[in-house]
Amino acid sequence: MDAIGKRIPRIDAIQKAMGKAIYADDLNFGEMLYGKVLRSSMPHARIKHIDTTKAQKLKGVRAILLAKDIPGENRIGILGDPFRDQPVLAEDKVRFVGEPIALIAAESEEIAEKATKLIKVDYEELPAVFDPLEAMKADAPKLHKESNLVSSTKISKGNVQQGFENSDIIVEAEYRTPMNEHAYLEPEAGIAKMEGDEMIVMICTQAPSRCREEVATVLGLPHSKVRIIQTTMGGGFGGKHYNLLACQLALLALKTGKTVKMTLTREESISTTIKRHPCVAKYKWGCSKEGKILAAQIEIILNAGAYADHGPAVLTRAAVHAAGPYEIPNLKVDAHLVYTNTPPGGAMRGFGVPSVAFAHECHMEKLAERLGMDPIELRLKNAFDVGSKTHTGQILTKVALKKTLEQAKKIAEEWRKNGEKKESIKTGVGIATTWYGIGSTAPVPNPSGAVVEILYDGSVILRTNCAEVGQGSDTVLAQIVAEEIGVSCDRVRVHSKDSAAGPWCRNTCASAQTYIVGEAARLAARSAKEILLKQAGKILGVERNDLQIKNGIIHSKKDLKKKITIQDAAKECKKAGIVILGCSTYNPPLKGLNPIDGQGDPYAAYSYITQVAEVEVDTETGKVKPKKFASIADIGKVINPTLAEGQMDGGVSMGLGHALMEEVIINNGTVVTPTLSQYLIPTSTDMPEEMITTFLDDYEPTGPFGAKGLGELANVAVVPAVIAAIHDATKIWIEELPATSEKIYKLLQKKQPSRNEP
Amino acid sequence: MKELNFENPTTIKFQINGRAVQVEVNPKMSLLDVLRNKLGLTGTKRGCNRGDCGACTVIMNGKTVLSCLVPAIQANGKKIETVEGLAKGEKLHPLQEAFIECGAIQCGFCTPGMLLSAKALLDKNSNPTREEVIKAISGNLCRCTGYKKIIDAVMLASQKIAGGGKNGRDRKKNTAD
Repeated sequence: MDAIGKRIPRIDAIQKAMGKAIYADDLNFGEMLYGKVLRSSMPHARIKHIDTTKAQKLKGVRAILLAKDIPGENRIGILGDPFRDQPVLAEDKVRFVGEPIALIAAESEEIAEKATKLIKVDYEELPAVFDPLEAMKADAPKLHKESNLVSSTKISKGNVQQGFENSDIIVEAEYRTPMNEHAYLEPEAGIAKMEGDEMIVMICTQAPSRCREEVATVLGLPHSKVRIIQTTMGGGFGGKHYNLLACQLALLALKTGKTVKMTLTREESISTTIKRHPCVAKYKWGCSKEGKILAAQIEIILNAGAYADHGPAVLTRAAVHAAGPYEIPNLKVDAHLVYTNTPPGGAMRGFGVPSVAFAHECHMEKLAERLGMDPIELRLKNAFDVGSKTHTGQILTKVALKKTLEQAKKIAEEWRKNGEKKESIKTGVGIATTWYGIGSTAPVPNPSGAVVEILYDGSVILRTNCAEVGQGSDTVLAQIVAEEIGVSCDRVRVHSKDSAAGPWCRNTCASAQTYIVGEAARLAARSAKEILLKQAGKILGVERNDLQIKNGIIHSKKDLKKKITIQDAAKECKKAGIVILGCSTYNPPLKGLNPIDGQGDPYAAYSYITQVAEVEVDTETGKVKPKKFASIADIGKVINPTLAEGQMDGGVSMGLGHALMEEVIINNGTVVTPTLSQYLIPTSTDMPEEMITTFLDDYEPTGPFGAKGLGELANVAVVPAVIAAIHDATKIWIEELPATSEKIYKLLQKKQPSRNEP
Repeated sequence: MKELNFENPTTIKFQINGRAVQVEVNPKMSLLDVLRNKLGLTGTKRGCNRGDCGACTVIMNGKTVLSCLVPAIQANGKKIETVEGLAKGEKLHPLQEAFIECGAIQCGFCTPGMLLSAKALLDKNSNPTREEVIKAISGNLCRCTGYKKIIDAVMLASQKIAGGGKNGRDRKKNTAD
């Protein structure tokens, strides 16, 4: 293969290296208005009255919008109905600190900011609830209707009771993970303007097609009259699915008739946009003394925050993945998503799986310890393999999980051998394994369109609305199209940013752009190629089946002298009046989960990973230093190894942050960590000295050129690998993240008297 | 002592990427405001506006500064280098080449600041150790790359600079297959 598997530099790298890539906040259209949002200072309150008189009189204020001024529906929600529950501007009440109440457009940011302070909101404070377990109680304050329960997912098979009775060992524990922040380096920003009867929103979004729908619904326009132009993205990680800013900008632009720009401050970005759902997971697993897992009972409570957003889909994914990549005959998963008066939870890298992977992998370690068995052996005994049935009854056809475990075992053994011994500093090695379903969880579909046109000089254009968020999808799609047609990558131009150019495409989430949009692009490229080949066949007097394209030349397989360049074939198409256009859509066939027992085929493919961590724990301070990290992954055929390694390195870094330092802290509904000096993410000095990535390159027949997905897989097993390494070093178990120095120090102090315990 | 005036604009003169400029600033403005809003040099990014993230890193008189924390008037008479000044026309700086070759760029938002922190290091120490590189970029947050390929790229750039194309050392560590 000429383009697949090659370390082709990102197609946007030069622009980015030169500082020429244009991000949303870099846009400047001269005379513009600037938007600001007046936000709720209360976690839960009825709005009695809003007085904008003073703000209206401020010189330079051009518009103030309240809920009543919204021309269309005052509702958004990425999943659509019945989970579209969030007002763009609060109506009768506010449900979290930071919820938008009014929008201001003014001649400068300073004036707009000043105006927010001149608007007076009369609140009637309501009792608030911040803890999801509290919120589930009958007498808890209610955010929306009669119950705070947003949604539930149940998965069951076999007989759990029976399974526990047959078990020799039962381990029970509760695991908690906190709210996390995406902390993309680029705060949310955008510009909106009306051009004729078309609303144009230029914005950093990872859900451009859905963004168009949400803006149109809020403005009361047909979808066709809204155009979303995605700007270069300074990271997304799930957080830029939130279409609130796009709607706010469009409302102000519609009202004023002017170009309106708005950029969130870092504080707004951290404290008022969607976050990773905090999770409480109760695990009870039983196994035989031979190490066969016989029963798993799991309860998951996710804190939805004030609105549903992606929550119900995150919950389903968490439930499906909750028991890990293991064959378990008797299983019961009960998962619930609960409203509280905190910022809404939404999509974030791993979509609920990091929380449950932390739980299931810590549980595997504990079982192995109780059994006196090597934890990798225990995993190998139970791991999914070809032909395994998942917890939802799906039969797996491609699984290289055991290979990842075997390779990890070698690495872990090597590291253990070479581990340094120091007095107060203990070294430990831990491993964790997991799986990840590629694409949105059924019944959420994955419709993705792509249009490929071979131009009359033989160069190629791909049009789609697949959001490049920094992960490299534009480059990977160019490689796929180039490979399918048989041209070099630099002949392929990708137009992925403008909804006026490309067809509807799934959001950039669920690690699926390579697998799903890649397949749509490949099919579109094939259609275009077929048109070209048909014409070439006519000219060369050769059957289609005898033709192939190699290095830009179409030739007969039987007679290599019979050949024509792609350029010349394209010119012949022009003479014949043929547009060389291929269109395709792809949506992998899935079977949504049965609401009673959660059985179904929620994903078309799964990726697998095992990760190994070596850490040093300073037992005098509790400080953890990651020393080495290895990732062995089955992600199908790797389209671009450099980009894939980059995804892995970044996923490991984010996972280390989650393991050791990251937590959005909320005090009475207010985020008290709204800056990057309070919400800490890893710096270069926090990273392991050695990082190894291995891809098994196991061909996946349903993916383009054998590819699956990676983006989130990179992140999900990092936490349990680190926690297992800390345990290996110190014998303490961290059951609530993050594993800060303070927490470890306290646990070590507690542990002291009974250090010699088995 | 003259009282600080926070309303009236002042004119400052400085060198930006080797070019002399004169800008009217108000005393509340940061150097970052001037670069982005007055000079249209949007390569330098605003990630937090309070000195936490390093995305706005530029070089002032040979030293890295967080331009969001530097009052614009402090730039008066200084030499400022930004990402826009790294390449000579179409000829990329070895750091830029190395960042591209190594895959050190993902979303690219931290890239300009990273490049400037790395340049300040290499200007003083053309043959740094990995540890020195890690320290030099420790004030620049990156959420995409895990820093590994960025560190690789700075090491490669130092080889490129040392080799100067003469002994071909730069070709040895080319990560491309």
